[in-house]
Amino acid sequence: MSMNNSNASRRGFLKNSLFAAGGLVVGVPLSACATASNANSDGKNFVPDAFIQITPDNVVHFYMPRSEMGQGTYTGLTTIIAEELDVDPATIQIHHVGAGDEFTNPEAGIQITGGSNSIRVHFDPLRQAAANARAGILNAAAQQMALDVSVLTTNNAQVIAKGQAFNYSEFVTLAAKKDLPTDAKLKSPKDYKYMGKDRPRLDGVSKSTGTAQFGLDVDFPGLQRAVLVRCPVAGGSVASVNDSQALKMPGVKKIVTIYNGVAVVAESYWQAKQAAATLDVTWNKPEKLASFSSDTGKKWFEDALKGEDLEDAHEEGEGEDGLATAHKVVSAQYWAPYLAHSTMEPLNCTVRIENGKCDVWVGCQSPGVAQGLAARITGLSKDDVTVHSTFLGGGFGRRVYSDYVAEATAIARESGLAVQLIWSREDDTRHDYYRPASLADFKVGLDKDGSIESWNVKRAGPNTMPYFLDQLVDGKAPGFMPTGLVDWLSKRGYGLFDGLSVDESSVEGLFEDYDSQHKHVQHVTVDPGLPVGFWRSVGHSFSGYFKESMMDEVAHAVQQDPVAYRLAHTKNNPNLNGALKLVAEKSNWGKNLPSNHFHGVAAHNSFMSSVAQVAQVSVEGNQIKIHKITCVVDCGFVVNPDIVKAQMKSGIIFALTAALYGEITLKDGAVQQSNFHDYAIMRMNETPEIDVHIVQSDAAPTGVGEPGVPPVAAAVANAVFAATGKRLRSLPLKLS
Amino acid sequence: MISFELNGKAVEVDVSLDTPLLWVMRDHLKLKGTKFGCGMGLCGACSMLIDGVSTRTCILPIAAVANRKVTTIEGLGNPQMLSTLQQAWVENSVPQCGYCQSGQLISASALLNSNPNPSDQQIDDAMSGNICRCGTYPNIKKAIKAAAGQQLGVQTFDPSQPREGAEV
Repeated sequence: MSMNNSNASRRGFLKNSLFAAGGLVVGVPLSACATASNANSDGKNFVPDAFIQITPDNVVHFYMPRSEMGQGTYTGLTTIIAEELDVDPATIQIHHVGAGDEFTNPEAGIQITGGSNSIRVHFDPLRQAAANARAGILNAAAQQMALDVSVLTTNNAQVIAKGQAFNYSEFVTLAAKKDLPTDAKLKSPKDYKYMGKDRPRLDGVSKSTGTAQFGLDVDFPGLQRAVLVRCPVAGGSVASVNDSQALKMPGVKKIVTIYNGVAVVAESYWQAKQAAATLDVTWNKPEKLASFSSDTGKKWFEDALKGEDLEDAHEEGEGEDGLATAHKVVSAQYWAPYLAHSTMEPLNCTVRIENGKCDVWVGCQSPGVAQGLAARITGLSKDDVTVHSTFLGGGFGRRVYSDYVAEATAIARESGLAVQLIWSREDDTRHDYYRPASLADFKVGLDKDGSIESWNVKRAGPNTMPYFLDQLVDGKAPGFMPTGLVDWLSKRGYGLFDGLSVDESSVEGLFEDYDSQHKHVQHVTVDPGLPVGFWRSVGHSFSGYFKESMMDEVAHAVQQDPVAYRLAHTKNNPNLNGALKLVAEKSNWGKNLPSNHFHGVAAHNSFMSSVAQVAQVSVEGNQIKIHKITCVVDCGFVVNPDIVKAQMKSGIIFALTAALYGEITLKDGAVQQSNFHDYAIMRMNETPEIDVHIVQSDAAPTGVGEPGVPPVAAAVANAVFAATGKRLRSLPLKLS
Repeated sequence: MISFELNGKAVEVDVSLDTPLLWVMRDHLKLKGTKFGCGMGLCGACSMLIDGVSTRTCILPIAAVANRKVTTIEGLGNPQMLSTLQQAWVENSVPQCGYCQSGQLISASALLNSNPNPSDQQIDDAMSGNICRCGTYPNIKKAIKAAAGQQLGVQTFDPSQPREGAEV
């Protein structure tokens, strides 16, 4: 968190001041098949991925490989280590790490925090590493005290021998010289002291006192603030600029033009913002996007679904031919708009280029990409670029992207000044990587008993992956690749990718959950050119609404109870089936409702977890009032139930904002919304009661940060149908 | 030159009179606990107490606080000495990303100072100017009630210690 100048390379990292404090340093391989090793040896072949260190002052340090953006990994991952190391989690010093290949997310192949996988992929490796470290300390203690290891136990960072307690630190010097065990026995769940229990978040104090450091809080003498004026149409560039008035404004140090806009660099943010407002810029606008407006643009999507360009994405049984034998076919079309992320902390990045080195301070979900982009823009090698990570003031997928890092680096390079680029809320709303707008057509074939035998869906919309790939090529291309080739690849990224296959995230969640003999999924890309990206739950954010509304339509078409009908079609999906049963019980499904209140149900698998929800809704005039959401989640073993419940509530409130208000629209390619008055976020007085239940499970942990989102809009829309008989097939939900 | 009282101490700043209090605090006085969220007074991330009233400071010119009492999150308590409200925040694991919580705590503190035992409706009314994108509202409500209960019930006051929480 502090501004130390640790080198980002692994060797440099191992030598940095904290590790220099000595003691026992344990490397944690993050890939599942490897085992923990003793990082004190200078063995050349050993590449640890995360680190646990016990210093001579008996403090345990954890170098955390993932970013904390609210989802709770700071507490969760630390609790996992604390359990097997037998140390109170609250005493562990947690360090944000910078960029480094050793921190690669084993499933993603790059250093990224996303996909709701932090606990899932690190659970086993971290436990084993911590258990091995504890065993190594016990072995060293036994040797040092000439006792049999079997008579030793531990308690909160101390070895207990014959009723006496000795700090771990008394044995770490010896333990560091010995080989660590690689397969120390793990605790039995019944002996857990910390895991599986409600415990306060470890970042609670700093975040309740204004002392947690976010990217925006980074400061040092000589740092200037920058405001960037961008083309209102994404992808545009500066044609001409008149900055004569801005240059005369107080505090202004430099005005520079970069690849996508004009930046004012000033002593303070307010001065930079005031000066930027006086700039007169004309733009080169990208033609295709500039020709797109939301009021007429939906036709682009409708035409594509009727056209010839659909590609097969998934087929089971006889695919669409299965419809031929259907006794009855239920059809409907659903729409979801573009959405912005609106993290509370506006995007920002601090960059200093000095003496052939570049320092980047940023809270982001992909520090490795940030490092690569900064290296490319400065022309330095990655080893000369150090990323200093902070807490993230919200991520939700937005901070996977490093566009603001690239901008800040370009401004620092062009101005020759250390700068902190600060986005305004208007910048944030208008220059996002949006949740892609989507249109889907369903045709569901039923047999004579009303059961589903054929599930067919077509989706039209933009794909997220090409936009991510574009940055990935820029940020992660190997150093030996000539700049020209990287430029070419980057510009071609979209086309190169699109030819290969259907982007999984464009169709995920549309077809998997329910039993059907025949399934057919088709996709057609419609992309006006507005950047799109990962938005909390990605494809599931729209497919959950589409699929679960459609399922409700089908159940009603055959006059069956929506819960019973779902239960009958989840025989191959036991976790979702179980979640549905429990949510029906906990919500008192369809029973004892106050007059004019109605229930709607929805259930969806995502990120390997199952979530079922019941919304309790009333409708007055055209007003939808949500009284309560009951939620059941099955996410395997739970490290901290309180945080899981908080994440479910978080996902639900996030999704309610989208269900009731969220809509980004364009006029001639420019986003029309700007701030919270025209892009509303749910407030406390609008938030319903939320009741969360966790399915008890000993299975491996699965995703939590995102799976609460997908069912919400459908649960509400299905309740509105129960109340009014009106089927709302478009988001945000509006009765008119 | 503008003079005002900041967290119990007299301060003077020499900045353009239209500079919002938020940016004076962050860029000139280097107090970083108060956050920037929207720049339009819509989200409450920038809330400070001005003479005890929770106020949006991203649109409040510094000239407006001349000779007034300003309390920021740093004035409510600190990690070594949490206010009752901050303690409730920690015990109820209110923060997620944490970015809006300084503003939430300022608004909650203003509420409890004027109404030690607020109803659900009164909590909603007092807190709905503060947006939380992580959706921590249920836990905020729980923490405010817990703190209110403590203030009414077993709160002890040691006159040798500075009062936790805002000056009243």
